[in-house]
Amino acid sequence: MNLTLHRRAQFTAIAELRWRMFVNGLRTKRGKLELFSRIIVTAAFSIGGLGAFVAATGFSWYLVSQGKAEYLPLLLWPVFFFWQVFPVMATAFTNNPDSGDLLRFPLNYSSYFLIRLAYGLCDPASALGCLGLFGVLLGTSFARPALFPWALLVLLTFALFNLVLQQTIFAWLERWLAQRRTREIMGVLFILFMLSFQLIGPMIERTGKGQHPELGQAAQIVTQVQAVLPPGIAANAIAQTAHAQFLSGIISLFFLAVLTTAIGLLLNLRLRAQFRGENLSEAAARPAVAHLQGLQLGWNLSWFSPPVAAVFEKEVRYLARSGPMLLTLIMPIFMLLVFRLSPVSSMRPGSNFLSRTPELAFPTATAYAMLVLTNLLYNSFGGDAAGVQFFFASPVTFRQIMLGKNLTHTSILLANTLLAWLAIAYFWGPPALAVSIATLAALLFAAPLNFAAGNLLSIYSPKKRDFSTFGRQNVSQTTVLASLGIQIVIVGAGAAVFLIARLYNNLWIAALLFLVLAAISIPVYMFVLRQIDSIAIERRETMLAELCRA
Amino acid sequence: MDLAPTISTQGLSRRFGELVAVDGVNLQVAPGQFFGFLGPNGAGKSTTIKMLTGLLAPSSGRIEILGLDLIAHPVEVKRQIGVVPEGMALFGRLTGAEFLSFAGRMYGLDRTTAAKRAAELLEFMQLADQPKKLVTDYSHGMQKKLALAAAVIHGPKVLFLDEPFEGVDAIAAGTLKSMLQGMIARGATIFLTSHVLEIVERLCSHVAIIHQGRLVAQGSLEELRAGVAADTPTGSDDGAAASGEKLTLEQLFLRIVGGTRRTEQELSWLE
Repeated sequence: MNLTLHRRAQFTAIAELRWRMFVNGLRTKRGKLELFSRIIVTAAFSIGGLGAFVAATGFSWYLVSQGKAEYLPLLLWPVFFFWQVFPVMATAFTNNPDSGDLLRFPLNYSSYFLIRLAYGLCDPASALGCLGLFGVLLGTSFARPALFPWALLVLLTFALFNLVLQQTIFAWLERWLAQRRTREIMGVLFILFMLSFQLIGPMIERTGKGQHPELGQAAQIVTQVQAVLPPGIAANAIAQTAHAQFLSGIISLFFLAVLTTAIGLLLNLRLRAQFRGENLSEAAARPAVAHLQGLQLGWNLSWFSPPVAAVFEKEVRYLARSGPMLLTLIMPIFMLLVFRLSPVSSMRPGSNFLSRTPELAFPTATAYAMLVLTNLLYNSFGGDAAGVQFFFASPVTFRQIMLGKNLTHTSILLANTLLAWLAIAYFWGPPALAVSIATLAALLFAAPLNFAAGNLLSIYSPKKRDFSTFGRQNVSQTTVLASLGIQIVIVGAGAAVFLIARLYNNLWIAALLFLVLAAISIPVYMFVLRQIDSIAIERRETMLAELCRA
Repeated sequence: MDLAPTISTQGLSRRFGELVAVDGVNLQVAPGQFFGFLGPNGAGKSTTIKMLTGLLAPSSGRIEILGLDLIAHPVEVKRQIGVVPEGMALFGRLTGAEFLSFAGRMYGLDRTTAAKRAAELLEFMQLADQPKKLVTDYSHGMQKKLALAAAVIHGPKVLFLDEPFEGVDAIAAGTLKSMLQGMIARGATIFLTSHVLEIVERLCSHVAIIHQGRLVAQGSLEELRAGVAADTPTGSDDGAAASGEKLTLEQLFLRIVGGTRRTEQELSWLE
């Protein structure tokens, strides 16, 4: 078989492989559900994409026909951001599948390179980005038909740049994310990056009052900088030609082509390394350090049995090594900071209600802490994965195991509550005694109920998860629905209690009523805990099948 | 001397819907035996070992371990056995020492004993040189060794091992074998499944073979050889048994499960 035919056969085989994988995925209920949700998402994206296409066409037509082509960066920058940022957010640090696996076959390097680009082109972000650029091309061409060939050339180059850059980002991310440690660091950085968005609103509101000449200067600098970056260069290439500055247009296109080539070389560097078979395994060779360990005694909890203490220790160690999960758990304190930074006179409804009514801060923060904890609580065995077999094989009852886990949950909740109280005391002054006691009483009611529900759901609908990664990890829809129902019940009961207290204008009544409710919820928790062994035995096959899957 | 069996099953069966994965298995493993449990892929080995260790409920039948009914006394039985299941049952985000210490305490050892044994086992398994390394970062062979260490930390009387040598290098396999033989010498009973018949032949005193969910042979290697020889018709042109030559376990296995080697006149394009 000659080389071209051989290569064509390989491409066909890869396309067929992906198709078969898709079709075979539909054999399971889960696969069909996945297809259904994919259709919904695709429809939503298509509508959004078509909207963006129409907007890009209309806006570019307006700009070019009005002789304002220098404003085209306003269209190309959003396309650029969407094309580059969306795939990273959507995959959220999960590994790009199967491109590396293809290396076991006798592909030559150029085929491998092309396949990677083809994968990129099939990405929804690329499709929508191309649609946006097509809109710009149509709008520009309708406004000035003579610009069509030039705009086509520039926008094609810009599309190629985006495609190559996207693949380069992925290839390097793959490199960094191949090892657990760097994956965790990236996960934490990603969460911090997302959290930092929460602070933008309050900061703008704070700095938005009065005259700020420095903002004007900053805008000028941004305008100048964007002009030398790819979206600005591409827009400039069209704008200059539209204004009959042909040489400037050609130079801009040349620069864009040079940048595309440079990024292409970076991609080439990475893919070459992959093609040569670099080793990115977790167990990268490290010099073994001969080190005789000192005895490391386990933790001792005098009120609890050794297995409960062992489970508690294991849970705490797991959490301490799960950066993304830890960050999620400190969210309540972070949200208090966000509210504190919002100015009291903000006009946005609800943006700073804690600053206006600080007496609500402690109940709100505590409720939020409880809500955040459900993420962990409602899937207690998710992080254990295949380790759950150990629990079933060991001579320890599930009651003790659950108790150890709940002890960890209680510690987190208490630590969060204490930190919230201290933060509120620092930000707005200590909460009133009646508020503090009523909130703690509410917690005494809500926590056991949530723990009982969490223990049951952890056994009835477990889902394997990796605490060290942040991103698309499937959650059980049953758990989501049940969790929602339980929160509605708890919030409803809480609201009713607060209404009664308000009616009598006495918060101590709320504290009392919550204690009465706690007298019901605690026995419910105890009852569930007593039943947990028989439930776990009854459900062990489902648990093992779900948690031990590869 | 007729000792009560350490592991005994009567009519042990397990169905998955229409599929009968294990069908009326009657096993007898005497104390101190190194027992190999063999069978082709999908024969029911892992299902059986899961039922024997309480990881899977039987559809019917009875299991007794050390004279105790597993269904009625699961905790008492589990306290005296060690298990290395198919998925190894490790907690990836603990270090080796933390995991072993945790395992020891779950099996009722006090903190000091658990920590001491954990350190000794890590040294013995040559896993002590990277104390900060998390289990998830261990290689497959290292994880196997750690899983075995966790299974023996409480000094079990019976050890169940599902494919303990799979993915383990020759040096590590040697370490594991010597440890297992040491346990047998001290009176423990070991029940293992393996696809590596040479290892089973070298280590195990007794074997059972399961095929399509049914137990098709059980006994010492000599008993199995005698059974196969008796079943071989006189004048058979089929090699060893007829000529009185000692059959290897692989030959016995192939005879019993009826497997044939398909090499001749097939895949001619490979030649």
